Amino acid sequence: MIRTRFASVMAIAAGLLAGSLPLVQTAAAQDVIKIGVITDRVGSGKFYAEPVTRGIELGTKIINEKGGVLGKKIQLIIEDDQNRPDVSAAKARKLVDDGVVAILSNTGSPATQQAQTVSLETKTPHLTPANSADTLTTQLDNPWFFQTGPLASIQLATLMSYTKSRGFKKVAIVRDNSSLSQSFAESFRKGLEGVGIQVALEEVIPQGATSAVANLQKVRAEKVDAILQAGILGPEMLQFFRAYQQLGMKEPILGSYNLSIPAYLTMAKDLMDGVVFVDAYDDTKPEAKVFHDIYLKEYKEEPSSLPAYGWDGIHLIAAAITKAGTLDKEKIREALASTQNFTGAIGAKGTSWSFRDGKRTGFDPQGAVVRVIKNNQHGPVVHAGQK
Amino acid sequence: MEDFLELTVSATASGCIYALMALSYLIVLRPTSIINFAIGEWAATGAFVGVGVLTTLLWPRLDAPYPVAVAIVLVVLGLLGWAVERLTVRPLVKRGAAVTSPILALLGVLVIFRETLTLLFGADPFPSPPPLGYRRLEIGPFAGAPQQFFIIAVTLTIFAGVWYFFERTVWGRAFEAVAINRRAAALMGINLGRVTALAFAAGAAVAGMAGLLISPLTSAHYMMGLPLAIQGFTALVIGGVGRVEGALLGGLILAFAEQLGARYLPIPSGLTLAFPFSLLILFLLLRPTGLISPREVR
Repeated sequence: MIRTRFASVMAIAAGLLAGSLPLVQTAAAQDVIKIGVITDRVGSGKFYAEPVTRGIELGTKIINEKGGVLGKKIQLIIEDDQNRPDVSAAKARKLVDDGVVAILSNTGSPATQQAQTVSLETKTPHLTPANSADTLTTQLDNPWFFQTGPLASIQLATLMSYTKSRGFKKVAIVRDNSSLSQSFAESFRKGLEGVGIQVALEEVIPQGATSAVANLQKVRAEKVDAILQAGILGPEMLQFFRAYQQLGMKEPILGSYNLSIPAYLTMAKDLMDGVVFVDAYDDTKPEAKVFHDIYLKEYKEEPSSLPAYGWDGIHLIAAAITKAGTLDKEKIREALASTQNFTGAIGAKGTSWSFRDGKRTGFDPQGAVVRVIKNNQHGPVVHAGQK
Repeated sequence: MEDFLELTVSATASGCIYALMALSYLIVLRPTSIINFAIGEWAATGAFVGVGVLTTLLWPRLDAPYPVAVAIVLVVLGLLGWAVERLTVRPLVKRGAAVTSPILALLGVLVIFRETLTLLFGADPFPSPPPLGYRRLEIGPFAGAPQQFFIIAVTLTIFAGVWYFFERTVWGRAFEAVAINRRAAALMGINLGRVTALAFAAGAAVAGMAGLLISPLTSAHYMMGLPLAIQGFTALVIGGVGRVEGALLGGLILAFAEQLGARYLPIPSGLTLAFPFSLLILFLLLRPTGLISPREVR
């Protein structure tokens, strides 16, 4: 009898405790600033989205260790959209419902584009620190959305500037048959022809190919000065590098921003030495050195450029909230839009981000760099800017 | 000429992979009349099991030698093939389901295998270490990657073994008898269930080997199965479903058509994608039995 009564009392106590839990949580929630992150943990964008997210997490940790923002800690709420545009908007809405004051989008540009429909409707500041599509701020007139990633047009102009500086006259483009690779190749072709460089041939390595020897033999036969690698599919890019090695080719290889994804360095280990690629990270820049040392201490591994995008993204949002002095989303948006000369880890030495003349793309046109791969690592900068 | 000889090695190696995939179809198809499109995922599974055993992907202390990886791939895939037959095909056959039911059930198996690989390993491609390293290897006038020569040697060994099995052993004759007439074979005392289970186990093991062999050239990734399944099926249609030699011939013809076409035909390289499908349609229309017909029943 006593045991039964004791059990009843405990059950009532547990019920009361459980009932009061939301109140406790609500009180705790007011002591934090919630920022939403959309990443890809399982899909085709995982390659680049996860390292960027890692940079956001590291930046958040450091900001919180220094006392947070407006006296509050930042709390990240991370959602996975699998790099799918049809999922991204739903995830953005979930983040808004969870009470975030800003959203960082790290997956592919099409998914970010779709998530903008929610940030526009719910009037939530929305930033993509790494997306490069030029159309993200032009397809939708969304004053709540900002982009600090290096625009594709800036990357292309930087690569063309390097290509021209090397005196190349005749080049080949090699790509796979994905739509993004096709788009890269098209941009390359326009850019090359624009600076008077002849595209001798464009070779396509189809998805599922078991050899790229025939493609690379055709390139070899054309006696081109350089090869522009516009592929984005890992296995097909591996075929390219294997065939290149197998045929004993020596033509310089120039790659897109895609080659800054560190996973390629392990997948095509020992095959990419000397390959140059566009990036937006110079590890000799003071701000990049700060990021590098903190990352190395935290994760005990060398960072690539990708986490630096996330690191800068969360610092930019934190700076905007500090400047706004409130968690009012309109005020945060105004603070973000007024950003001038924000120097982060990303960008060539001496460059910074600014949202000028009402534009919501902040990357400095001289901020992209060309780097060379050495010893299976992203090596030093060999060219900076478009001059 | 140098190009042609390099291409010969490359196309022969690719053709051998297609041939192994065609052989996997054939081993299952002959005694059961079931076209198993899940073999592409079996190849992908073989590649991942191989990478897991050869590297520290699955277990920090593995890093096993290549022969161990081959043995484990054969055993694991054999068991998976056997389990698939027991769990999906046999219950349907026992209930007298329509001929298409096991084929549809195996499409479900395809999805299960692919999604499981994605959940276990994610979307990133994994590098697969080759047994003989990476470099340019020249044997006489022929030049290629060591892995390409290795693929050719292993494939020819497998084909010789399977040919011997079908042509010279009692079990092979039992397979052939079931292929010719299941009812008569059962009346002669051949255990149909055992033949079917063995066919699935052997078919899965062969597909797994194809995945293991190609992975150093392409990496192991969850999307690698479907193209291999299409190429293998095309090779099977070209060579014919009746004889082991047909699978090898079909694979080689397909790969040479693809790679010589990509190299020498004056068409954009993107159009070479159409080669397998064009050949598939052509053979289905003009020679549905393939180039090598089954032996006459004596």
